[in-house]
This record gives sequence, C-alpha cells and structure tokens, in this order.
Amino acid sequence: MITETKLLSEHYDNPEFKGIEGYKKLGGYKVLGDALKMDKQKIIDEVKASGLRGRGGAGFPTGVKWGFLPKNDETRYLLCNADEGEPGTFKDRKMMERAPHQLIEGMIISAFAINSPKSYIYIRGEYDSCIEACEKAIEEAYKAGYLGKNILGSGFDHDMDVYRGAGAYICGEETGMISSLEGKKGQPKLKPPFPAVQGYLGKPTIVNNVETLAAVKYIIRDGADAYRKHGTEKSAGTKLFSVSGNVQDPKTVEVPLGMPLMDLIELCGGLKPGRKLKAVIPGGSSAPVLNVEDCAKAKMDYESLAELGSMLGSGAVIIIDDSNCMVDILATIMHFYHHESCGQCTPCREGTGWLNKIVHSIAKGDGRLQDIDLITKVAEHMMGRTICALSDAAALPATSFVSKFRDEFEFFVREGRSKVKGGLNA
Amino acid sequence: MPKITINGQEVEVEEGSTVIEAYKKLDENIAHYCWHPGLSIAGVCRLCMVEVEGHPRLQIACNTTVQDGMVVNNNSEKVRDTVKWGLDFHLINHPLDCPICDQAGECGLQEQYMEYGKYDPEMAERKVKKRKVVDLGPTVVLDSERCILCSRCVRFTEEVTETNELGIFNRGDRSEIGTFKDKPLDNKYSLNTVDICPVGALTSKDFRFRQRVWYLKEADTICTGCSTGCSVKVYYNEEGAWRVKPRHNPDINGYWMCDEGRDVYKFVNKDVRLLTGLQRKDGQNQELPSVDAAKLAGTVVRDELEKDKNGVALVMTGQFTVEETQSLVGTFAGDLGCKQVYHWINNEDSFDSFDGLLLRGDRNPNTKGLEKVLNDQAINNTWADLKQKLESGAIKTLVVAAPENPSLFPDLDEKIALFSKVQNLVWLSAAKNEALDGLNTNVWQVPLKTFIEKSGTYVNFQGKEQPVKAVTTIIEDALTLTEVAGLLKGSDVNVTDEAQKMTSLKYNYFTQKRGNL
Repeated sequence: MITETKLLSEHYDNPEFKGIEGYKKLGGYKVLGDALKMDKQKIIDEVKASGLRGRGGAGFPTGVKWGFLPKNDETRYLLCNADEGEPGTFKDRKMMERAPHQLIEGMIISAFAINSPKSYIYIRGEYDSCIEACEKAIEEAYKAGYLGKNILGSGFDHDMDVYRGAGAYICGEETGMISSLEGKKGQPKLKPPFPAVQGYLGKPTIVNNVETLAAVKYIIRDGADAYRKHGTEKSAGTKLFSVSGNVQDPKTVEVPLGMPLMDLIELCGGLKPGRKLKAVIPGGSSAPVLNVEDCAKAKMDYESLAELGSMLGSGAVIIIDDSNCMVDILATIMHFYHHESCGQCTPCREGTGWLNKIVHSIAKGDGRLQDIDLITKVAEHMMGRTICALSDAAALPATSFVSKFRDEFEFFVREGRSKVKGGLNA
Repeated sequence: MPKITINGQEVEVEEGSTVIEAYKKLDENIAHYCWHPGLSIAGVCRLCMVEVEGHPRLQIACNTTVQDGMVVNNNSEKVRDTVKWGLDFHLINHPLDCPICDQAGECGLQEQYMEYGKYDPEMAERKVKKRKVVDLGPTVVLDSERCILCSRCVRFTEEVTETNELGIFNRGDRSEIGTFKDKPLDNKYSLNTVDICPVGALTSKDFRFRQRVWYLKEADTICTGCSTGCSVKVYYNEEGAWRVKPRHNPDINGYWMCDEGRDVYKFVNKDVRLLTGLQRKDGQNQELPSVDAAKLAGTVVRDELEKDKNGVALVMTGQFTVEETQSLVGTFAGDLGCKQVYHWINNEDSFDSFDGLLLRGDRNPNTKGLEKVLNDQAINNTWADLKQKLESGAIKTLVVAAPENPSLFPDLDEKIALFSKVQNLVWLSAAKNEALDGLNTNVWQVPLKTFIEKSGTYVNFQGKEQPVKAVTTIIEDALTLTEVAGLLKGSDVNVTDEAQKMTSLKYNYFTQKRGNL
C-alpha cells in the first residue's frame, strides 16, 4: 500500500488549522519561539544541512541561497513567491488556503535567520481565497504578537504584507516578481547583479517559494537529520506534488522525494479503466515530457528526472493517457508561453510566437513536413539565450514533444488530422 | 588594468569595463542593437554574443565585465550561428519594406543581414500586425512593425531627458513602443530617439521621405545654434544640407544634441539665403555682385569716416568665427581707426540660462571668441551708448555683422528699427531679410557664407576652441567676413571658394550597377 508522508500537509483536512487558535492548539508557533532563541547562523546552518532545495522549480539549495546575502547591516527583504503560475501546479494554493499560519511561521523563522525586518507574500491575482486567507492570518499573527515589534520578547522586529499580483506568469520569476513589487512592469532583470546582492528596491533580497519557507519550520522543529531521513541523499525531504490530468483522483499529495512515478500515479487512483498511459509531464508545463518507457524508470527526485532529460520543477505532474493528441497538447502549451512571454528578449519574444504559429499550423492541418524539424531548430536557438528561463521553458516542451512523439506530428502533417482524435478527414 | 584577448588580439581596458567596450576599443566588429554607450545596459537584443573561454554557455558582451586574462571571441561557428539566429528572430516579424523605409542605407538590420544573413527565410507564418504611422509627438513618427523593441528610446527618455514619455506597452510579440495618454513625446531632445533607433521605427518628421541617405554626403562640423557648440555631422548634397546629427564628443555633448540645434541646417539653404549683393539708394533697390556691393559699402564707410571720425560704428554678433571677428574688428579698430564697435546681445533676459543638459541661452557659437577680440582691442562700449548715439543722430553710418540664423534673434525687428535711424546701413548677413528692402535709409547688403561654407574657429562657453573645416558651398557669390573686411578697407581681395561645390552623386554604386541581389 502506497501512502503519503505528511509533514506540511498533516492537518490540511482539519478546518481548525486555518485559524490561529486551531493552529496553536496543534503545535503552531512553538517552533517560532524556539527559533527566536537560537543563533541566526545556527538556523541557516541547519537549513543548509537539511539539504532543502527550492520547491518553486529551480531546486536551488535554500541554505546556500541565504548564504549569498552580504555580511553587513544593509536592510534585506524576504519575499515569498506565491505567484504559483506554472500550468499544472496548485500545491501552494492549498497550503495558503488551508494552512496559512504554517507559511507565516516558516517565513518569520526564515526572516529572523537572515535578519530581515520586512517580508512580502506575492500572491497571484487569481488566488482570491489565498489572498483573503493570508491577509487574515497575518492580521491574527500581528494581534498575537508573532509579527510587529519585539516578537515574543526576542527583540526581533518583523513586518509582513501581502502583495497581489495581476496574474502574469513571468512575475513568478524572482526578478520579474521584484520588478512587479517595485511597481514596475513585471519583467525579469538582467543578472548580475543577483537579488541576494541587489534585489527589491536595490537591497539584498531573498525570494523563496511557499513550500520552501513552510518546510523551514519543520526542519527547525525536527532538526536537519530528521528531515534528511525523508527523500534521497541529494533530494532530501518530502515534496508536495500536484497531480493532474488523466488520473482517477487528481490532487495534491505529499511524498518523500524519490518515489517512483508509477507509485505516485497509483496513489492518485491510477488511470481510468481502459486507458493506457502515454506520457507524463513531471514538473509543470515547462518540463520535458516523458514517454511510457521513461515513466517506468522515473523516480520523483531532482537527479533521476534530470537523468531522463526532464526536471522536477514545481512538482506539477500531468498524466496524459492514450486519448490525447500530443500535437494538441503542445499547441496548448505553446499558446500559453506565447501569451506569457514578457517580450523583453528577442529570442523569446519572437521565438514563442513563431513556435505557437508553427504548432497551430500543424494542428490545423496546414503543416509542412519541414515544420517538424523547424520546431526543434527554433526551440534550440531559444535556449540559454535570454535573461530569464521563460524562453527555455517554452523550448523544452517543444523539443521533447517533437522528439518523443514525432510519429503523431508526422501523421498530422501527412493526413491533415490527428492520429488519435481523428478529425474532418477521418 | 585588466587585459583581455579578443579574437586573438590582446587589449588592456579600464577596470570594470564590459566586454563590448573592449570590442569597441579594438574597433572589432560586434553586432548589437540594444546596447548604446550613452545608456544603461538592457541586455535584451541578445546579439552581442561572445564565447568566453571556460564558460560552456555563450555570454552577452554588454553585461559581462572584463576580468584579467579573459579570452573571448565572436568569430567561432557557434557564435556566428547564434548571432544569425538572433538576427532571424529580429527579422521574422519585421516588414520587408526597405524600399520605402527612411532607415534604408543606415539600418542596423540591413547591416547585420549583410554580415550574418543572406539566407532564405524559414518563416512561413503570417507576420504580426502592429500600428503604422503612429504620431508620437511634434517631431517623431513611429512604425511599430519595424520596431525591434531594443528599448533604447525608452531608456533615453528615462535616463537622459528624464521625461519618461515613452514606454513599452503589452507583452510578448504584441509589445509596442508608445506614449501615455495626453503625454506626447515632446521634449527638447526628442530627435535623439530617432538617431539611436537602430531600425526605421522612429523617423524624424523633418527628414522623413526627403532624401535617400546614400545620396547624401556627411561631414564633421559643430552646431552653431548656441554657445555649447555640440559636435555634429551635417548631411548634404548639391542642393544643400538636409539634416544634422550629433557626433560623440565626451568633453562637450556626449552622444546627444538638442532638437533646436538640428535646425541649423535650415539657414544654410538657398531659400532663406541672401543670394547676391544689394544696394538700396534713394529708394531704389539694385542687385549687384557681392564683391561690388562690399566695395561700394567700403567707399561709403571710408568717406564718412573722413567726414566725421565718430560718425561710423560697427555692430558685431557672436555668430562668426574667431578669424573673421578678428579681421573685421581689427580692420575697424586698426586700419580705419574706428573704435566704435558694439556687441549685439540678442536675448539679454535668457542669455545666461541653461536647460541643464546642453542648450544654453546664449544662442551664438562664438560669444567667448568675440569678447576676447574686443578685449584685446580694449573695446568696452555699452549698448546704451550706441542707442543714444543712434537716436541722437551722432552715428550716421552703421556696419552690422548680422546673424546667420535670424530665428535665434527675437529682437531682430526691433534692432532693425533702431539701426534704420542712420543714413547708411551696411548689412553683412547670410540671411535674406526683407525688412531691409523698404527702409528710408541707404542700405548695402553683402551676402555672407554660413558655418558649413567656411573654415575657422569657434570658442564655446567653456572657452574651448573648436576648429571647423569648410564642408560645401551653397551660395557661390557669398563672402566670408574676412573677405568683406578687406573689401571695406579698400584692399584688393582675391575671393576664393575653399570648399568644392558638391556635384551630384550620380555615380552611385546602387544606380550604376545591378548588384548580385
């Protein structure tokens, strides 16, 4: 029997956990009290030792990121990236809706560790329920003395605010988010300088994902060693996966990193009767697609998926069964990236539009055989050429769909209709 | 200072320089659109790609700081292929309208296409449609389809003029340059955006559709529109001058110039010029060669001086070269023994004003030079003195070295009314002035050369001496003030044309030969 390992999501189903009273009853804010008595560097060291890696998509070690901050008295900011925009991802939403105090506690501990007097939770505009929940929780935390001046008599001051985005995917990129927070057009900034040195308002800034910051609480509560017991050596801890697509029970699950992909599918009820697995996008729409052979080998951790040429990303697992046309899916993905490219860098601005048009031409039955190779060529020249990773995020699915499901693309071009769904000429 | 090896050549650059600056220092070819030395780094065109030894990924030269011992190239196959694709991304939605585009001939896209392109396009989709002929303000027109969104113009209005009129609206390949509601691009430096636009997206209302640039010649000179004396290039053909653009000069104007300065070309062209000498005597106007007009005027001046040593005066403006000023003031104060020389300040109220960037209230290119000449001659006459002597009739003959560009002299009519109180007025000017034709005074008008037709030196507000060379001749009959000075004192002057009159560029390569298109 495959089961979840619940750290972050332990009390998700308890409605009391949302309010501060229920949260405290279930052990909330105890860790904060302990943490505020700890040496700041000790907290950072503990996070480093835990092997916690950014849960937003890039998987960068959190403690190392914190270590990039300059060792001086400059004001620094902590930003919580709750602009959950990667298609397929909905884990942060659930956390904010059901356990906002868990995030806030993790944030206060993290802010204390990096000595930041101010933090923001940047929430995507469509997440009304999350914005409401977080605002209410912050208010409660202020009233209870967990935020504001001299928190729990420790001498540490911290203020927290919610900032509402307007729903742009690119504002989930950390420098794009900083631009947006500064009141500018949400466009990524040229690096260097990196945010840890020059971020929000030109000050050192740390941007962490909702899940990452919440996990800090559990690392401090149980210790790095206990946290490392979950997961694999290089991918430590548990991870929230948003499983969607053609499974019987699509949902957010928390499992240790390294779980076989097929087990994860089983945990979500498996496929619908009579359907066969065709492909899985393991880490959000920007992750290269896996075919059935890959799926059998895939383990859900950073390294195993990288070995298969894909990535863990934000943990958005999209299950695709044999009733779907891959040309159709790629057309939808390309439409998304074309719509969301900020337009700053030429290869991305023009490339996303070009790819979108080519794939749609094929999906309309107007494709030419050379278009299939052209997709790969255009995508390859979009990769690694831009300020942020959106260009790569658009290029990776394009190349992987074409290389792994070339037959479907060729069929569409030759026959003018989908190999799976048929069409006008079927 | 760190050393860097670029395409096999070693070069030493200043600490903190970027790789692209090192390329520029070596004068090595590197493609770029968004980078401009006078603006901040945007890093968005992704064309200045270089291969840095030890880095697996290509880097953009504009945002890579030079480190000692760095080995960089941009001529490997990998880089060339990347630049070719980078260029292609710029071109896929760019309209193929070079034949009707003003930028053709000086277009960044054309240049890089000749270097990296010359391939058959693979883009088979419909191009993105955007706004055409967008009126951004009084001076500039935008064609959004041609725009490659390098953001240079936006950064210019943010960083240089700090007026923030321009922005990029919308996202992705729907992005467009635009202005905010009721806030047109209307600042004194707006036309710099046209200069820095690497493509034909921003065009100057003044210049667009008037000339093909490959039929124009360009020459270096300075702007004579104010005492800043910006370094400029003037573009001209046999018909006259067509436009003025700034030339980089770190000591004076950096990379920019003001919009008013760009109009200096307008007063060198035939339509506003005094074409021949003119004599108005006893109410009769008569055209005559300029040398004859100057000789006749000289006779009058010398006769009048003989009659009354204090009956003659000279009015100078800071519009002429140091050499000319020396020669005319010297002729009066020395040869003719007349020390009644006055300095005409055209706009006393705003004379010392400065807009904080380049434009100064003193709209004369050589006020400092004139002041020095007057000082050397120990001439220190006040304007009030002249006014009193003119009104009392003490001065009967007046020689005026009048402005080249009358539009910069708002007090011109008022001054002419004052000057016309004399019996004999000698008017030395490049500009046509119809107000003089109906005066009840005897008038001799002598046509002068403008700043692009003569060599000489101007001294700007900083006291910086700037020599310029004659560029072309527009009015053959026009004289320099030096020549006029000689004629006034009665010498034989051999009138020469320094600049070759430009003949048509009829042997243009493009019109004479069918290229391998």
